[in-house]
Amino acid sequence: MSRFTLDQEIRLVQDEMLLLGSLAEQAILNSVDALRRQDVAAARTIALEDKKINDKHFAIENHILIIFATQSPLARDLRLLAAMLEIITELERIGDYAKGIAKVAIRLADDETPVPIQEISTMADKATSMLHRALGAFISEDVTAAYAIPKEDDEVDALYITVYRKIVQNMIKNPESIDHTNQILWVIHNLERTADRVTNICERIIFIVSGELLELDSSDDEDQDV
Amino acid sequence: MKMRIHSRIAWPFILTLVLTLAIWLIAVPLLEKSAYQKALINGVPVDLSFVQNTAIVISLTGLIVGLSISLIYTNRYVDDLKTLTEAAKELGEGKNQEINLLPMQNSLREMGELREALQKTAHQIEDQINALSKERAMLSAVLRQMTDGVLIADSSGKVQLLNDAAEKLFMISEEEALGRSVVEVMRHHRLVELWEETRDGPAKTITMEMGAMHKFLQVVGIPLGEELPGRSMLLFQDLTQTHRLETIRRDFISNISHELRTPMAGLKAISETLLDGALEDRTVARNFVVRMDSEVDNLTQMVNELLELSRIEAGRFNFDYQRIEPYRLMQKPVERMVLQAERVNLTLSYDCPVDLPLVFADPERISQVFINLIHNAIKFTPNGGRIHVTAYQDGHMVVFKVSDTGVGIAEKDITRIFERFYKADRARSGGGTGLGLSICRHIVDAHGGKIWAESVENEGSDFYFSLPVVYGEN
Repeated sequence: MSRFTLDQEIRLVQDEMLLLGSLAEQAILNSVDALRRQDVAAARTIALEDKKINDKHFAIENHILIIFATQSPLARDLRLLAAMLEIITELERIGDYAKGIAKVAIRLADDETPVPIQEISTMADKATSMLHRALGAFISEDVTAAYAIPKEDDEVDALYITVYRKIVQNMIKNPESIDHTNQILWVIHNLERTADRVTNICERIIFIVSGELLELDSSDDEDQDV
Repeated sequence: MKMRIHSRIAWPFILTLVLTLAIWLIAVPLLEKSAYQKALINGVPVDLSFVQNTAIVISLTGLIVGLSISLIYTNRYVDDLKTLTEAAKELGEGKNQEINLLPMQNSLREMGELREALQKTAHQIEDQINALSKERAMLSAVLRQMTDGVLIADSSGKVQLLNDAAEKLFMISEEEALGRSVVEVMRHHRLVELWEETRDGPAKTITMEMGAMHKFLQVVGIPLGEELPGRSMLLFQDLTQTHRLETIRRDFISNISHELRTPMAGLKAISETLLDGALEDRTVARNFVVRMDSEVDNLTQMVNELLELSRIEAGRFNFDYQRIEPYRLMQKPVERMVLQAERVNLTLSYDCPVDLPLVFADPERISQVFINLIHNAIKFTPNGGRIHVTAYQDGHMVVFKVSDTGVGIAEKDITRIFERFYKADRARSGGGTGLGLSICRHIVDAHGGKIWAESVENEGSDFYFSLPVVYGEN
């Protein structure tokens, strides 16, 4: 196979990956919007859209495997494709988080208990902005940005802790709100995890350029303390 | 023309030929004949070689002269033609010159005409190029300055043009974007879908909200079809502001209904209870009527504020402007509020530099602004907090500042708090009408000043408003 075709194939995969990123980004924003507006119909659409994200994830994975099998890419091309294989998995997971938030939106649609929507919105905006810029750094192979973006995760973590304390206090004061609080906990957890996934994406960008695999943020841990 | 140029170049040569022929055919035989006759008469033998030699010499000389003249002429024509050919070539390469001034060796009319024609063509080309570049500059200026974003991509999805507004929207420079795929540049699946549909079909319009910036866009996809086959154009209109105004309007209507409904419901409940028999019990009835009275007061206040607001907004409000010292503006309202602040255990203080210039203001209205701001500060500051009022000069303005150590305002609310009925925290704002800050803004606007707020949540808020300094006082 000629060099030209391999380049073209990689570009195609990259565009597909960016589209997957856009779907995941919008899914998170839409899910929080559905939660804010208590919009069951919008929340259900997100659950359906998640199927699209999963299908796209498989299609891209397939595409990459075919390239591996038929073109035996080497060096940088190999790193690029391997990184994309990893990144699409992260994006698919972010899609799942959106679906989780949408489910909460459906459950809380008739619940008049106030939701800390301001903080949740800010977390979602922050996390999706990080995601958007991380994929932008992927396109331009901007290592500086790849190191800088994960630092913003601290802001998302800080918001997570603020909301967490607020709602736990609320839970202690009003034990009957435990179920409601639990749902909100699920939402902020998903958003916090979204930002962590972005950190993983940034690690892959550094891997493409330098070939080094490194851990950017030690707080990227499922069972971190709050 | 061709024939004539040829004949002109050839005429000396042809003339020589004719003369030679004439010498040989007419003069030589004639001379020989006369020589024979002489010989017959005189009986002297004839030497004819003299005649023939003379004829040969004359012929050859004529021939050489004729050829030389022809050659000189021809060379001149060729040189002139070369000059003009060079000029035409340079014209083709876009180099413009005054062809009229080119040196010509031959004043032949045809050559002159050719030069004129070339000159005319050169002028026409120059005019056309000027007109085209002017049109191009105009179109490009329109495209650049357009508030709507424009993106043009070819059939394979490579970006070929991105104007300023689109650069801002996608946070990428045109330089970086050119040649990249629409996916890389626009980074949104719905926009890419629109581009795909436009490439294969008719024009289409969508509205969408984009990304964490929450930009509300109307996007039109237009296939460029016949003029530029395979290419399509996307037009982006930023409707975020319009969308925001629409939200404000919706909120306003829902708020005003809500604000009116609460006292109305209270009144209805009281009047029903009275009708149901409470009227008989004088003490209870009196209590109810007192509450009705206060509800009606609330309603009246709200309606009055609404009226005042709409009067100010419509510009039908008379202000009584005076030249006044800044400290006199703040002193009265602040002292009026001190007691109210002390009642809820807050410290209200003020200071004002004495050397501030005079400002142009209606003291009555500005006092209303101070009272509204201090009133808010009292409401949102927990026990034991501090409220401080001060002023300073900033260029041609005096800025007044009311700061508190209260709960603060969320970043998202801070630009909206000056809207009618906007309440950042409904639970805490209690009985307010939600109109106070809106009225403040209009009063300050009417003075030619500005009002704004800065805040850190849980640390406090600073409200600022500026008033113009009296001319010549600065």
